[in-house]
Amino acid sequence: MSESFINEAKQKFTTDLVFRAEDVPMRCDPPAEELEQTLHGLMQLNGYIIKSLEEIAGRGANAVTYRAGKKFGHEVAKYFEKKSDVEDALRELSYILHGQYTFEPWKPSDRDEYIVEENGSTFIYLVFHDCIVRQSCRRIGQEQGGPLCQTLCGYVVGAVEEITGRRGKLEIIHTGPNACLKKLILK
Amino acid sequence: MIEIRVDEEACNGCGLCVKDCPMGVFELKSSVSSPVHPENCMGCLSCHEICPAQALEHRGVVPCRRMYVSMKVCRMLNRVI
Ligand code: SF4
Ligand code: SF4
Repeated sequence: MSESFINEAKQKFTTDLVFRAEDVPMRCDPPAEELEQTLHGLMQLNGYIIKSLEEIAGRGANAVTYRAGKKFGHEVAKYFEKKSDVEDALRELSYILHGQYTFEPWKPSDRDEYIVEENGSTFIYLVFHDCIVRQSCRRIGQEQGGPLCQTLCGYVVGAVEEITGRRGKLEIIHTGPNACLKKLILK
Repeated sequence: MIEIRVDEEACNGCGLCVKDCPMGVFELKSSVSSPVHPENCMGCLSCHEICPAQALEHRGVVPCRRMYVSMKVCRMLNRVI
């Protein structure tokens, strides 16, 4: 007769490894191939939580996730050097977002400058290439531009506000499977 | 710069790419899409997703990391293809 499931499970989760309080893991374990499941699980978890939030809170979900992202952005950027120059602030921002989001400044060909000063505010277009939020939306077949994307908008705005000391806004202009265009406005 | 090609045989002139592109890259000329402003393309590839004829080709686009694609599915597809 085959072993009971409980016995099997107990055997699987039994080792003779010794862990001491001072032991610090020296490498990321398991290898990338096995991490895929975890990554996908996280993407699904995030995606479905936000999807459920949207179903519960309706259009209000965007405001909630934006505020949550913004708070997180302020927290993360709190220890970063303060910069008043927009280009320096963007460089700082790319450090913060490194590995999760990559972006580049963008302008249509008929415009001379990337950074535009207009009526006391400054704006710049940013093309987001890598984006874990986009990946999560696509993982669960959710449309882009909704509350999960608003978390990222809030996150970026919070970080930029913290770095520059100016009030900011990030508008989603266009979304695509490979990149998204956003407009960063600083007041 | 990004280079865009439209397969004129495949394009059915529906104009979806013209409407979808936020940069006004395409125009319909004699019922075929034509990339009149490729210099304004930012490589989002939403036009690829919307084109029912799969008539578009972009060269020089920076590919983003596609983490949502499962390795298992890729392996299966590779075996089939
Ligand atoms: S990739 Fe985006 S910006 Fe470029 S032509 Fe297609 S829709 Fe327009
Ligand atoms: S979406 Fe495709 S089929 Fe329709 S006009 Fe554009 S290139 Fe042609």
